[in-house]
Amino acid sequence: MSDDYTDEHDEAIDQAVAARLAKLRAMPVDTSHLDNALRAQIPPIRQERRILSLRPLRAMAASVLLVSAIAAAIMLTASSGPALAEATQMAQVHQDIVSGRIPVMQVASIAEANRMLNSQSPGAPTLPQMPDSHVMACCMKTVHNKKMACVLLKDDGAPITLAVASAADMKLASAPVTTRNGIDYRVQKVADVNMVMTEQNGKWLCLIGQMPADRLMDIAAQVRF
Amino acid sequence: MDRNQATKRFYDLIWPRRSDVLRVARFLCRDAWVADDLTQETLLKAFRAMERTNVAETNLKSWLLTILRNTWKDRLRAGRIEASMESLVEEPASHPTIGTEDEDSKNDPQTLLEAFSDQQVIDALKALPEEIRWTLLLVDVEGLGVQETAQILQVPDGTIKSRAHRGRAMLRRTLLPLARERRLVTEDVKAQKAANLRQEEL
Repeated sequence: MSDDYTDEHDEAIDQAVAARLAKLRAMPVDTSHLDNALRAQIPPIRQERRILSLRPLRAMAASVLLVSAIAAAIMLTASSGPALAEATQMAQVHQDIVSGRIPVMQVASIAEANRMLNSQSPGAPTLPQMPDSHVMACCMKTVHNKKMACVLLKDDGAPITLAVASAADMKLASAPVTTRNGIDYRVQKVADVNMVMTEQNGKWLCLIGQMPADRLMDIAAQVRF
Repeated sequence: MDRNQATKRFYDLIWPRRSDVLRVARFLCRDAWVADDLTQETLLKAFRAMERTNVAETNLKSWLLTILRNTWKDRLRAGRIEASMESLVEEPASHPTIGTEDEDSKNDPQTLLEAFSDQQVIDALKALPEEIRWTLLLVDVEGLGVQETAQILQVPDGTIKSRAHRGRAMLRRTLLPLARERRLVTEDVKAQKAANLRQEEL
């Protein structure tokens, strides 16, 4: 009986060995060396391969053209003329920067802010010198696809956001105009946030803060591009 | 058939099977570069055959392995491949068995063999005599039938069955010391039985 058992057992082992060997079939085989050697001796038919490979190339080129055309159309639409920054939009930008709802870069000076903004977004609008203000942070924002450099300043402990863009990109809001020292300021208010907008040396700038509009205009008067 | 047609058929039909041929060659030869060279020659012969005749699309794997076998034999004859030092007649009449039914479940043959890495099994396979190795490679590794293997190796079906059985036994004999070393198996049942019988006689 035990002989019968060992025969059966041998049979079971035989099957197990066969099953283990069969698993070797699933082992990956590196054919790279062989492939190179074979391709060198039996070059694939070039003409057919070119035709085959051109089809996806043509399809890809068509797709790229289509996407480019759509992108160009969007850009043309977006960049047709200067954008208008709504008062509510600008008030929101200020609130977001002050409350930290949007990522900002901590900086200690306007020069540092300009460096940081330029490294993040080459060609970013240059921030003007603000001699008496304490510079805290900066960030880039876009309004209708137009770049706007923003810097958070502190004036007597109160936060102010100064936003700067190219005058070609942003237009002044249709708001009451206050003229000081020959400069026109568009003054607006959203809730308890005041803002003044003006243009200087081809730059559009907007100062926003929870302080009187007169104080914002005083600060704007110090701006030197 | 012109060269372009043969090339197209080669890349359509033979190219997808090159790894099957290379695998057998790799398990057959000690050096990977010899295996690559052997496979390359095999596939080039297949390509030249395609240029000359209209090769049937059925049983292509068997056809390629037949070319591989013939190329290997030619090289062996020419001394370009090192022949195995082992002989088919050197197999002992009895051999140890792995495990018994009342031993620990780790002696289960399936579990035991799974404990060996692919490389360990390949090394054990490479240590077998060549004709046995060929048989196990075609029957067990490549999953060919007995008749198909018999045609490739040009021997009767019975010889394939016998070689396969002997090969598996030799393989487990090769793996057994390793299993013992790794404590994957407790005792050899036949040795244990023999010891018991001797004790009874005394």
